Amino acid sequence: MLAYCIRRLLIAIPTILLLIVACFFLMHFAPGGPFTSERPLPPAVLANIEARYGLDQPLWKQLWDYLYNIVVHFDFGPSFKFKDRDVNDIIAQGFPISLTYGSLSFLVATAVGVSLGIAAAIRHNSWIDYFAVGLGIAAQALPNFIMGPILILTFTLWLGWLPGGGWNGGQWQYLIMPVIALATSYMGSIARITRSSMLEVLNSNFIRTARAKGLPTRTVIWRHALKPTLLPVVSYLGPVFVYVLTGSVFVDIYFSTGGLGQAYVGSALSRDYAVLLGVTILYGALTVIVNLLTDLAYAWFDPKIRY
Amino acid sequence: MNKYIRTSLAGLMTSTMITSAAFAAGTHPDTGEALADDQTFIYRLLDEHSSVDPQVVEDTYGAEIARDLFEGLMNQDEEGNLIPGVATGFTTNDTKDVYTFTLRDEAKWSNGEPVTAGDFVYAWKRAVDPALSSPYAWFMELMSIENASEIIAGDKPIDDLGVKAIDDKTLEVTLTAPLPYFAQMTTHSTTFPAPQKVIEEFGDAWTKPENIVSNGAYIWTEHLPQERSVRERNEMYWDNENTILDKVVALVINDENVALTRYLAGELDRTEVPAGQFPRLKQEHPDEAISFPRLCNYYYTFNVSDSGPEEFKDPKVRQALSLAVDRDIITQKVKAGGEPPAYTFVPEATAGFTVPAVEMASMDQAERDELAKELLAEAGYGPDNPLSFEMVYNTDEAHKKVAVALSQMWKQKLGVQVELANMEWKVFLEERGNQNFDLARGAWCGDYNEASTFLDLLQSDSGYNDGKYNNARVDELLAEAKTSDDPAPLYTEVERIIAQETPVIPIYHYAGVYMMDSDVGNWPVNNVEQNWYSRNLYKLAE
Repeated sequence: MLAYCIRRLLIAIPTILLLIVACFFLMHFAPGGPFTSERPLPPAVLANIEARYGLDQPLWKQLWDYLYNIVVHFDFGPSFKFKDRDVNDIIAQGFPISLTYGSLSFLVATAVGVSLGIAAAIRHNSWIDYFAVGLGIAAQALPNFIMGPILILTFTLWLGWLPGGGWNGGQWQYLIMPVIALATSYMGSIARITRSSMLEVLNSNFIRTARAKGLPTRTVIWRHALKPTLLPVVSYLGPVFVYVLTGSVFVDIYFSTGGLGQAYVGSALSRDYAVLLGVTILYGALTVIVNLLTDLAYAWFDPKIRY
Repeated sequence: MNKYIRTSLAGLMTSTMITSAAFAAGTHPDTGEALADDQTFIYRLLDEHSSVDPQVVEDTYGAEIARDLFEGLMNQDEEGNLIPGVATGFTTNDTKDVYTFTLRDEAKWSNGEPVTAGDFVYAWKRAVDPALSSPYAWFMELMSIENASEIIAGDKPIDDLGVKAIDDKTLEVTLTAPLPYFAQMTTHSTTFPAPQKVIEEFGDAWTKPENIVSNGAYIWTEHLPQERSVRERNEMYWDNENTILDKVVALVINDENVALTRYLAGELDRTEVPAGQFPRLKQEHPDEAISFPRLCNYYYTFNVSDSGPEEFKDPKVRQALSLAVDRDIITQKVKAGGEPPAYTFVPEATAGFTVPAVEMASMDQAERDELAKELLAEAGYGPDNPLSFEMVYNTDEAHKKVAVALSQMWKQKLGVQVELANMEWKVFLEERGNQNFDLARGAWCGDYNEASTFLDLLQSDSGYNDGKYNNARVDELLAEAKTSDDPAPLYTEVERIIAQETPVIPIYHYAGVYMMDSDVGNWPVNNVEQNWYSRNLYKLAE
């Protein structure tokens, strides 16, 4: 198991390196640069700026310097757009915010989704089932960029209960709408996956055996059916965890949370190379780690899997 | 807290405020209006500002903040007129190429130290310093300060800049050529003073709230990037006793509709009105929906360079397309924010500019359409040989609406086939800058309140002339206007030539279209550059 983990982490290094190189070149080949503006800068001014940020160097040299600074100084470079902040600052400020409401959304989506799915499967074809399926489909059809404006209109303008945006150090009033907006559609998917998986498990032979030997329903469900039911759910949850952190750009835009999603998209649009690369590396590393954790979780859920 | 309780609490608080305001004599010293106890102004920013460093800042939002935090030699009043700032005034020599500014004794930095001429010398040298590589270094060239260009190019040391401190309170500036509007340019943030000791101590991080020292009416107290920033009264400011507003909060809200919702929920005092929503809001909130002219134009430019289409080399084609644009439909139905229709390149609101009587403006739309058809037929295009081209704009809902309306007008009236193409902003700039287009959207906001800030775009060697329009007479007139005492007739002639040759299709001039809480006092609607100073604003008691 430990050897497996080490092997996986070692594979992650060339993976992330490849990600950096691909992203670096794609970025530089996109038309326009960080200092392309509606008011083109005079050549002498532009030359000074490019010299300052090393953009006058050949691409391979820029890439080398970039990697060198990361490995040796853990410095992800300056932001071209925000003059008094560097990439480390931007990530240090935005990531905790994204992580906070992302994790909360993840917990809410998982807890509510799994409960709904299980309830629906146990009471198959009852009103509970129809209600849960209906809710799941409705939730799935409401991605965060639809939920955002609906929530703000309802809770801020009409009811006047919640502030329409901002972060304010993560006070609960400011968290509710971003978390609901982000969690809703994942919650719907999780509920549907859990339900169909549970139904399949409940019809399998070992459950019939468990029932036949006279175990109470509660024990059958919790002791025998739950773990295999969650296997497909867990494989879905891995990517979802990364999505709720990376896919938070709409939440950042609608709720002005100051999270990292906005910096990510903003840096791509303004060609703020170092910020874009820095956030890409962070998200890449996160994906690798979460995938590893998901794979390790498999082994716990399914004794047939061995590493 | 439910809405009912909130409302009654708000009512209670308001009545308390009125009472206490009356006791505290909280009335405006000049107008006598009752002032609110809470003097906080909260406004929306579309996007995070790039910097508040006066020499570095390049975006409007950052400049607005820098104008509150720092004060330059001269300021603008609510009408945009020049008034004293840190300088009490200035004198100039006979040839108008040396300016001498006298600084007021009472001007102080927020750490209590006096503002000296040396602070300006340091700041201006900093602006052109290749090591700082400010994107606004060119502003010092535009100001014609001696040796600015050479220093930026690295050919001379920064100490050769034509600015020196005669003593602590006297600043002398030497120009390469007389510039009639030089003093106006000292209201721009690039020319604000900078605290040398603080910058040397903290480097790029000197503008963080915990480090910054500034000399304006406000100090920078809080900054949560992409979320909010706060500036509060600077007790050290020389005119602090006449400053009414205590606190200014800027909230970053990317989505304009969310911003409007939050405004309507009472979270903001000011936000922009999304395109097309002004008539409804004006009806529902007549006191709050406001529109006033701004110093910006919106146009389409023909590519008349060698790489441009053959069709556009013929002025008749260009003129026909311009004539067939029904500007009233664009301004009244599509934008609907009170924008004035444009028949000239320079907005009417520009100081010292009289709109010339161009022929097109005096015709009605039916006459224009008729003439457009004739001109296009003369140029050899008709049903058998339809004109076709591509028009490009940067991806944006409002630009798309205008582009669709234009292409439909041309199709219906002239049978012209137009292909619409939208591009992401930086791609668009790159393509337009490299003349890879037929017809492209353009917009320009004046850097200063004078017609040349617009007309320079049509000068043949201007870096902003993306259509590569080239007319020797226009160049000559614009060069003459630079040093002329009365450039107005020269600008009028340039506009006449443009109307004849139509290198661009002016569509409309911008309006500032805002929702502004009716308790915000003294918003400078007549300052067309929208250079507003928080210390001139106040909040009225409701």
